[in-house]
Amino acid sequence: MSEYFLGVDIGAAASKAVIIDGQNIIMGAAVIPSGTNYATTAAAVKAEALKQAGLQLSDITSSAATGIGGRNAGADSYHGVIICDARGVNLTFPGVRTLIDIGGQGSQVITMDENGRVINFNVSEICATGSARLLQVVARILQISIDEIGPLSLRATKPSSFSTSCTVFLETEVITRISQGDSPEDILAGIHRSIADKISGMSRGVALEKDFAVIGGGALDIGLVQAIDEKLGIKTLVPKNPRLMAALGAAVIANAH
Amino acid sequence: MENEASKLFFAGIDIGSTMSKAVVVDAQEAMRGYVVGPTGAEHRRRANKVMEDVLLKAGVTLDQVAYIISTGYGRVNVPFADKQVTELTCHAKGVASLFPEVRTAIDIGGQDAKVLKIKNGRLTDFLTNDKCAAGTGRFLEVAAETLGLGLNEMGRISLQSDTPIKINSLCTIFAQQEIISRLSEGQPLTDILAGVYIAVTTRVVKLARQLKVEPPVVFTGGVAKNSGMVKAMEIVLGIPVLIPEEPLITGALGAAILARDEAFKLVQDGHYMMQKKQLSEAYIEFTEKGR
Repeated sequence: MSEYFLGVDIGAAASKAVIIDGQNIIMGAAVIPSGTNYATTAAAVKAEALKQAGLQLSDITSSAATGIGGRNAGADSYHGVIICDARGVNLTFPGVRTLIDIGGQGSQVITMDENGRVINFNVSEICATGSARLLQVVARILQISIDEIGPLSLRATKPSSFSTSCTVFLETEVITRISQGDSPEDILAGIHRSIADKISGMSRGVALEKDFAVIGGGALDIGLVQAIDEKLGIKTLVPKNPRLMAALGAAVIANAH
Repeated sequence: MENEASKLFFAGIDIGSTMSKAVVVDAQEAMRGYVVGPTGAEHRRRANKVMEDVLLKAGVTLDQVAYIISTGYGRVNVPFADKQVTELTCHAKGVASLFPEVRTAIDIGGQDAKVLKIKNGRLTDFLTNDKCAAGTGRFLEVAAETLGLGLNEMGRISLQSDTPIKINSLCTIFAQQEIISRLSEGQPLTDILAGVYIAVTTRVVKLARQLKVEPPVVFTGGVAKNSGMVKAMEIVLGIPVLIPEEPLITGALGAAILARDEAFKLVQDGHYMMQKKQLSEAYIEFTEKGR
C-alpha cells in the first residue's frame, strides 16, 4: 500500500497544504486565506488538499506543519519555516543555493547546500516594507487587485522614486505622487524598487550563491521579481506555485521522519 | 538704540509636517502671542495665515516685527522669513528658555521623533527618527483610526489601565493587525490602548538611551499633549518628565528668540532699519499675490 505525507503551512496571509507520496511526488495541494482561527483554517486547507489528491485523512502516514500558526495545525510535528522553505525549494530546483521568500508578514533570504540544508539566513519580520504587505497597501490605494500589480508595473516608463522606506509614510507619498500625476504603472514600479532595496539590505552578510529562487506570495508579482533581479544583479527562478514551497518542504520532512 | 529695540517684536514660524506654529516675542524674550494650526498641503498659504493670526493674537502690526525666523520641515516655504534655522537648533533654544536646567529633550511630532541633549542651554548632541512611523505620532494616529477613536479620547481611556498588554509588532502596519487580534481575543480596550502608548514610547526611549537620558527631561511635540503618552513616558523612563504649557510651540518659540538675537546683532552692526523695510515689502508683496 502507498504511503502519503502531508505538509501544512499556516502563514500570516495565506495557508497552504501539500500532499506527497513516498517518492515526494505532489498528489494534491491547496491555498486558502488564513482567517483569525488557525485551527479552523488548518482543518479547511487540509480537507481541500485531501480532496484534490482524492485521499482521506486516514491515508496520511505522517504530517508536519510550519508557519506562524503551524503549531495550531494539529500535525505530528512542527518545523521552522526557513528549514521547510529550503527543503521545498531543494526538491523543486535542486540547483538553487539562495532563496528569497517574500511573505505576507515578512521575508527571508536563505542560503543552503545541495541537500537543502540551511547554511545561513536573514529574516525581516519587523517591517512591512520588506514584505508583500506593502503591495496590498498600494493596491488598495490604486484600487487594483494584487494580481494586476505585476503586469501593470512592467509598463512603467519612469518609475516613481520615494523618499521614505516606511510603508506608513509610503502610503502618504503614493497619494502625493498620484496628485502630482505619476501613473499607476510608474508608482508600482517605484514600490517594487523600494521592496527590492529592503531585500537587498537583508541579503547583506549572507554570501549569495547561484542558482537563485524567489518564493512566497511576493514571487507571484513578476514586476517585483524583476526589480529584485535588477537590484541584486541576478537571474532568479520562480516555482510554478511559489506559495507552496514551505508546505511542500514540511511534507518532505514528514516523509523523511 | 536700546529704546528703539524695546518697541520691536520678533517672530518664529515652525511649519511642521502636521502642524504649523508661530510665536511672537518682545525684546525681553517674553512671549506676546502664539498660534497653532494644521499645516495642510499648501505650506505657503499656511505660513501666511499663521503669521497674520499670530500678529492679531499678539496685538502687533507687521512693521513692528523686526525679524522672522522660519524652521521645521516646511521652513523653505516661508517667503517672508529673514532666515531659516533647523528645527534642532530652534527646539533646543525654545526648550532651554522655558527650562534652563534641561539636559534631555524628547520631541515627538506627527512624523518624526527627536532626542536632544542640552547643556547650559546649548545643544550638545541629538538623534532623530523620521524613517519609520513607529515611534512617531503617526503610530498613534493609525491606532486611533483602527479603533475609531479620537486621539484625546484614546489617551483618556488608556489611563484607566495599569496592566498594559505588550504590543509585539514593531512595525505600525503589523501593530494595527495585532491590535485587531487582541480585541477579537477579548482583551480590554483600556489595556490595549495603554499598550499602544508603551509601544510608541519604548521606541523613542530606545533612541534616547543611545545618548544617555539625564534629568531633567523635557517632553515636547504634539504627542506630549496626550495624557496617555505622558504616563507611558514616565513609566518607560522611570523618572518624571517636564512638559511645557503648550508643548507644540517650543520650536517656534526658539525661532522667535533666535530672531531677537539675530536682530540685535544687526542693530549693533547698524543694518537694522534696512532689514525691517525689506521684510515689510516682501510680506506685502506676497500677501497680494497669495490671495
